[in-house]
Amino acid sequence: MNRLKTSGYHVAMGLVSILWVAPILWVIVISFRSFDDVAANGLGSLPHSFTFSTYKSAWQDADEFRALINSLLVTIPAVLLSLGLASIAAYGLARYNIPFRRTILLLMLMGNLLPPQILLIPISRFVELIGYYDTLIALIAVHVGFGLGFYTFVLHGFMRDLPREIQEAATIDGAGPGKIYASVILPLTRPALAALGALSFTWIFNDLLWSITVIRSGEKMPVTPALLGLQGLFVSSWNVIAAGTVIAAVPTVAVFLRFQKHFVGGLAIGAVK
Amino acid sequence: MTGLAADRRTFLKGLGLLGAAALVPGCATSTSSPGSGSAATGELSLQSNLSSEQAKAAMEKVVAAYNKTGGSQVKLNTVAAEIFRTQLPTYLTSANPPDVYTWYAGSVADSYAKKDLLLDVSSVWDSMTNYPKSMQTLSTSSAGQKIFVPTSYYWWGMFYRKSNFAKWGVTPPKTWAEFVQVCKTIQSKGIPPIGIGLGDTPWVASAWFDYLNIRINGAPFHRQLLAGQGDFTDPKVKAVFTKWREVLPYFDPKGKSFPFQEATSALLAGKTGMFLIGTFFADSAPKDALDDIDFFQFPIIDPAVPVAEEAPTDGYFASKKAKDPDGVKKLMTWLATAEAQEIYVQSSSGTAIPANPDGKSADTPLVKKGKAMIEGAAELTQFFNRDSSDALQPTADAALTKFLDKPDQIDQILKTWQTAAEKVFKA
Repeated sequence: MNRLKTSGYHVAMGLVSILWVAPILWVIVISFRSFDDVAANGLGSLPHSFTFSTYKSAWQDADEFRALINSLLVTIPAVLLSLGLASIAAYGLARYNIPFRRTILLLMLMGNLLPPQILLIPISRFVELIGYYDTLIALIAVHVGFGLGFYTFVLHGFMRDLPREIQEAATIDGAGPGKIYASVILPLTRPALAALGALSFTWIFNDLLWSITVIRSGEKMPVTPALLGLQGLFVSSWNVIAAGTVIAAVPTVAVFLRFQKHFVGGLAIGAVK
Repeated sequence: MTGLAADRRTFLKGLGLLGAAALVPGCATSTSSPGSGSAATGELSLQSNLSSEQAKAAMEKVVAAYNKTGGSQVKLNTVAAEIFRTQLPTYLTSANPPDVYTWYAGSVADSYAKKDLLLDVSSVWDSMTNYPKSMQTLSTSSAGQKIFVPTSYYWWGMFYRKSNFAKWGVTPPKTWAEFVQVCKTIQSKGIPPIGIGLGDTPWVASAWFDYLNIRINGAPFHRQLLAGQGDFTDPKVKAVFTKWREVLPYFDPKGKSFPFQEATSALLAGKTGMFLIGTFFADSAPKDALDDIDFFQFPIIDPAVPVAEEAPTDGYFASKKAKDPDGVKKLMTWLATAEAQEIYVQSSSGTAIPANPDGKSADTPLVKKGKAMIEGAAELTQFFNRDSSDALQPTADAALTKFLDKPDQIDQILKTWQTAAEKVFKA
């Protein structure tokens, strides 16, 4: 009976995962088809051709290499900076009796509850005003600003639950707030940082909205708008777009595989009090 | 960070430093921002939405050819068409906008001229004496200034495969009655006669509205209606839909679920008979199928109405804030020459026709026939969104898709359309 249950479960879950994986497989299949095949038989048909040239044209003609570099130039500093700043803020708010800390925290979180769309115009105008329009720095700043509230909130919850005694012991040993942060709290927060790092990497890497808001030059665009650029005004080479998408997914998949267990951990952050 | 000194005072001092550091770049840039970035490099920037592979390569050739002529150097910046469309207002209103833009002639260009964002290029038109009157009108703002330089146009038609028409024993119809007859014959062979692709590309249905309206009520009425001077609940508009209902049973029922690109595949595979579409569809056709493709003019409904055709015109306009207006005008004058337009037409997909009457188009029978049809037309229209605005297009998409689903609710649909359109015109 138990065996039957287990095998039933596996069959059902297997079917669900096939449903889940099917669109991805479909994209991969399309990425190996030639344009004439797609045009003649439609996107939905079985492949009648096999070619690697789609990857070549995505990589070279669409300049996806430069776009990927841009993406990483934005994503890596933005992740490091926002997590660094958020952990400092969370440390202060969680471990010290700062007046109005609850209000500060709620205020930071409130910014995250606003739909980002209503800030598009103010941000694009502001970035222009301070002279950073069309620079990657502006994009990094926007991502740091937007991430900060949420990351601080999550890290605050995590740091608050660290035992008080550790900090007291460190204080008795003569460590000041900076030392305690760097040598005691930060190492203990690593699981949360790793989870947030992996999550924020995918969020920032996959962002499209902000990059098209603050960046105007084609050669400065990160990979998501570059993929959009593969779409023509009327007609799109879906096979090349599929190939470009597969390439663009590689960094996030790599980060996911490396930090797999933290991803799951990240989703559970705050769930356990 | 481990080396950070450990007492509270240093910590606070550190915070102060951080704050100061954050402030400094703010001050520095706010003083230098006027003119920063716009450093006079003698370079013109051309913002292009032609992002598909072929068109992008063609634009690169055009720019390279101009840069060889001397004068200011042009830097081409290609962004995705969809991004360009949504960001164009931002580009134009920014403090340091790109100089020249690819865009469409007619009321979509005029809407920016009304906001006083475009450069007056009347002096460029002094060299464009051979352009037809229709192009001049299209490039003139409602304030009477020339604001646009057209460089190419394409046409719409009812496309079909010659071999399939021969197989089914039908010939291209000229009148509405003949057209309905052709639909009947094709349907009797078990093939949906009229292909369409509305999933993701609902605007394709507007071609039917445009054509029926200019065939029944004429181009002037159509333009006025789209400019907000008419009323969609007008019985004349309802007549368009009554006519449309006559052929509704012949539409491909699958057409609602896929985009026009898939509808093109369906036409080529012989799964539909005819397809009302612009020549850009040819870019998504396999090259070997193109020789078998032909088109006929949208059937004449009322012979008393002067024949109008849709000929969407593409070209360039420039920002009023361009740093070097003379350089911009020089570039646009060159873009208006037959030579420049031929470079573009030859390297792009090949169905575009140069706007300059002296420019040679691709020498295929299809293009010759299209060019002859446009030149023979008494009136030219652009396309629904180009004759109105990108804001009005979604109202049409909503109304037309609803009509295709529930044709008997037409009165209600037109009322809703009028309400939605009024909101757009008042905005």
